[in-house]
Amino acid sequence: MRQFLSFIWLSLLSFLVIPSSASSAVDYHEQLNLRPLPLSALLASFNFRSNTTLSEFEKGNFRFFPRSLGQILQHAGTRELHLRFSLGRWDSETWGARPWDGAREGGTGVELWAWLETETDEEADRKWLTLTNALSGLFCASLNFIDGTRTTRPVMSFQPEGDHSTDNNMHLLYGVLPHEVVCTENLTPFLKLLPCKGKAGIATLLDGHKLFDASWQSMAIDIRPICPESGECVLQIEQTIDMVLDIDRSKRPRGNPIPRSPPGDQLPCDTSKPYNSHDTCFPVDHTPQEWTLSQIFGKTVKGTCPLADPAIPPVCLQVPHSRSVYVSKDVYEKKNSDDASRCFHISPDTELEMMLPRPDDGASSTTTTDLATPETPLLYAERSFTGHGQERGGVQTILRNPSPDTEVEFIYMESLPWFMRIFLHTMETRIAGQPHANKSLVQQVYYRPALDRARGTQLEVRMRVPPASTVFLTYDFEKSILRYTEYPPDANRGFDVAAAVITILDPPPKDGRFAAYTLRTTSLLCSLPTPDFSMPYNVIIFTSTAIALAFGGLFNIVVRRFVAADEAQATGLGVVLARLKSRLVSAVKG
Amino acid sequence: MPRLLASALRLRRDPRILKFPPYLSLLCILVGVAWLFLLPLDRYSRKTYISENALLPGQVHTYFGGSDQNVFRAYKHEVNELVGKSNTEINDKLEPIVKGLGLKTARQNFTYHAAGHDFSGENLYAILQAPRGDATEAIVLVAAWENVKHEINRNGIPLALTLLRYFKRWSLWSKDIILVLTPDSIAGPQAWVDAYHDAHDPSHVSSLPLKSGLLQGAIALDYAQEGRFERVHVVYDGVNGQLPNLDLINSIVNIAGGQMGINIALQEMWRHDSGYPDRLRTMLRGMLKQGLGLASGAHSSFIPYHVDAVTLQPFGQGWQDEMAMGRVVEGSFRSLNNLLEHLHQSFFFYLLMQTDRFVSIGTYLPSAMLVAANFTIMAIALWVKSGQPAAGATSPSSDKTKKLGTTTSPAAAERDLFLPLGVVALLQSLSIVPLYLFNHAPESALTPLFATFALLNTLLPPALSHLLTTLPTTPTTPHQYNLIKSFSLLLLGMFLSTLATLNFSLAMITGLLAAPLSFVQPYRSPAAKTAATVLLNALSPTAVLLAGVLYWGTTDVTGVLREAAVAWHVCGTYSPVVWGEEAVKEKTT
Repeated sequence: MRQFLSFIWLSLLSFLVIPSSASSAVDYHEQLNLRPLPLSALLASFNFRSNTTLSEFEKGNFRFFPRSLGQILQHAGTRELHLRFSLGRWDSETWGARPWDGAREGGTGVELWAWLETETDEEADRKWLTLTNALSGLFCASLNFIDGTRTTRPVMSFQPEGDHSTDNNMHLLYGVLPHEVVCTENLTPFLKLLPCKGKAGIATLLDGHKLFDASWQSMAIDIRPICPESGECVLQIEQTIDMVLDIDRSKRPRGNPIPRSPPGDQLPCDTSKPYNSHDTCFPVDHTPQEWTLSQIFGKTVKGTCPLADPAIPPVCLQVPHSRSVYVSKDVYEKKNSDDASRCFHISPDTELEMMLPRPDDGASSTTTTDLATPETPLLYAERSFTGHGQERGGVQTILRNPSPDTEVEFIYMESLPWFMRIFLHTMETRIAGQPHANKSLVQQVYYRPALDRARGTQLEVRMRVPPASTVFLTYDFEKSILRYTEYPPDANRGFDVAAAVITILDPPPKDGRFAAYTLRTTSLLCSLPTPDFSMPYNVIIFTSTAIALAFGGLFNIVVRRFVAADEAQATGLGVVLARLKSRLVSAVKG
Repeated sequence: MPRLLASALRLRRDPRILKFPPYLSLLCILVGVAWLFLLPLDRYSRKTYISENALLPGQVHTYFGGSDQNVFRAYKHEVNELVGKSNTEINDKLEPIVKGLGLKTARQNFTYHAAGHDFSGENLYAILQAPRGDATEAIVLVAAWENVKHEINRNGIPLALTLLRYFKRWSLWSKDIILVLTPDSIAGPQAWVDAYHDAHDPSHVSSLPLKSGLLQGAIALDYAQEGRFERVHVVYDGVNGQLPNLDLINSIVNIAGGQMGINIALQEMWRHDSGYPDRLRTMLRGMLKQGLGLASGAHSSFIPYHVDAVTLQPFGQGWQDEMAMGRVVEGSFRSLNNLLEHLHQSFFFYLLMQTDRFVSIGTYLPSAMLVAANFTIMAIALWVKSGQPAAGATSPSSDKTKKLGTTTSPAAAERDLFLPLGVVALLQSLSIVPLYLFNHAPESALTPLFATFALLNTLLPPALSHLLTTLPTTPTTPHQYNLIKSFSLLLLGMFLSTLATLNFSLAMITGLLAAPLSFVQPYRSPAAKTAATVLLNALSPTAVLLAGVLYWGTTDVTGVLREAAVAWHVCGTYSPVVWGEEAVKEKTT
């Protein structure tokens, strides 16, 4: 009865609300974008977005905005918040430019940055602590480990996405946990923030098994205030999940996920080879293949979320119009004008099943007509360690600009742990193929040195890469020796170093919304000198000590002149005095 | 206490005490050698065990097989077609195959100059990015086109390709897998691993365009044998006698033996009955290899960078096929993949007796230390002796008077240090000459150079001693002889005991060969003199090298010297230095 009543109330409420706030934007959107990628990969981008007017928010009428998160934001004075959970790496060589221009992804692990409105830095730190601890509880992640040593205040790299009034005293804080393993326990609270809680609409596809088996996945939460030209300011929460699924892997049945080799007669062979026979087969891999939504995600889309804006198609697929796509009945397909994408409208109660058949010319493996051509990214970046040993090391970042005519200008930001003491004077940039360092590439450097056990190094470099060239950015560092108790339980693993964040300034205008193209390098594993607690060294040390002691005693006995006490020369003050006296006497006599 | 002191005093003044050290030295050597021979006994060696629990060897099912065999056969056809082609042609053919697996590939050129030859080639390598990993760690699978015996790795390369194709299907990898295809087993892997750690000379070895994270382990496949095999030979010696972590070997023994039923052989002991003689033989072979310090396979170059690596070599006629070998590699990779930390738990210093018995450094080190100690004891004895007046000229009473009065004429000899120190320092530094010459001479000049050096090595010591005795200004006194010998032995003892902690076998071998140096002294009778000279020359490095070549007969002097030169230039082996050092010591008698 109670449920029924509340249902009535809810429906009444929705009747009251929807017409009144129709102007302030429809409040909740959700959309799934599917983009097949080369080498039988599939990018699935889930996007959930809802707005609440700022005035309502401040009054505590959260509406679609999750209350748990809203209260944390209010308590910590957070004006804009970005939280990322990522796993794996984006293979830009094969997959092309990043989804959302890289604005909705983070480096491996957990990344958090937020603009806090406070008077002083100290207060910002205090609120930041509150925020990280509260989010840590909310998302089941170790965000509370973002302490002073892992927090930086970027100067050039991050720009607010929302509209903030200029007189606000805003503090940007950025923290990252590269070693955090993202898993199901982070997905569940993420889904609970959605208005439909993953029970209806495209969120029904999100399943921990599939999401965390993806080759790359990134979960993002972005909260920002948006003030349109006309109308009231709204607080927008955008939740994004991007994942790249391997179609072969995803199609394996859940009960039998082991990649056993297929029977010999089912192996796709290159029959043109002269030796091809029933027991010899040169394999033809990564041929485009058919897939269905339920094969990939293990289930179909269960209707739409009733709260979502019906005008926005819930599912879009980016394949050329020439390819045919089969969908279940009551699904209406609408081809977009760009010849590379189509969207599907579904009625609230139908299940969406979709099938992308194998392209007709199955023999030619990855011709461009089958897939929408991946867009070339503006910059390729790859970072690795140089050198070896426990004392010093170096970091080398290879930045490649693929564009034949446009120069790329960007900000390269590193936030390094304090035990990597970098030598700024060794930082140099070199264009590949040129023997000497090229100083003109670096335009501006912001460097905040580390304090032992208090804060990490922050390095932001504004630099440029000329067209069609590769630039090496290198610097050396020294590894400090930690205190005995500062080593984690798995000390010999090494210490993770967070990804470098590259923000490209003024990217060529595109119809997207993003002002900057960001990309992140992979994280690094830095091995520090680790005390060896194992036995052999102890044995060596102890035996050496024993031998040294024995040798010392032996040597002493052999070499020292032993005399009996009565035979010995007298020593002491008296002797010296006597000698002095005799000298004096002889001098006087002489 | 005074009584003790007094007795110590009496003991010290007793001239017989100087008679004692030679016997003590001899005892040290004998105990050291006996100790070594006790090690294979059950009481002194230990059973191996897996120390790093994360490895979990043999705990996973391996699924490599089935239609992978068909793929293997096809790759083998491809590889067989490439036999006899040039390095670049081979890579041109293999690269599309590797790319077709969905891996990122890159190439690297290298050139080394040694013994008047150029060793150049091109490595091809590919990175299988861990599907959910973040490029922080990597495991390496090496397949060289030729093994150290220059046999073509006909099965190893197709097997590596098939394995990578199979690995690509799994999503459980936490570390990247790097496939390295090198043209040879020594220079290629060395160039690659040097460049990976940026320790290369860019003018000879090009940098790697593609990299992954920290290397956590490497397995080299040396599968040149055709047909089915019986067992797997694990080669584990690294450059300069460094060894991989024992856990890696144990895991492979466990996986191959326990899970697959493939027995493992070590140190070319094709048959091993677990008895004392076979254990001793395995250990001594291991020590000889460790002492030589040469690279023994494609894995050797990895070990100096603290990347634990072994080579797997199937051998014998049995019923195991290529897929079984593949499953051994799969199991080992799964174990390495489990690692959370770098391999560090188990031993890095050990001697293996058989696949499941070893002695650790704590047990075997005393034997080399005792041998090294004998030199130190003799050095101290000689130092003391050199401080005493010449034999017969003193009596205990005169000794006493010397110490009592400061003005009484000293019966004790002043130690004249200049000449002995000068001679020792000069001879030690002279050892650079042969080191430089042998490492920079072209191959054709090596044998003549060796003959010259052998001749010089025989003639120089008598000439030197003649020169010293007939020195026009100050003829050398016996005390100075004693001091020369004392300093040499002191240095030798010091070097050897230090070396024993780094390369036990080298220290042991050198120590035993140099042992007679403790006991030779200026003889009066010509017969004794001749005998001593012959003995010393027989144990000189040149003679030992010749004897070794004659005994094993696998290669000639030139070959050995060339290998040493290559090792010096390519791998940075330092054992030749030690051999050279020893030569110097000879001359001081």
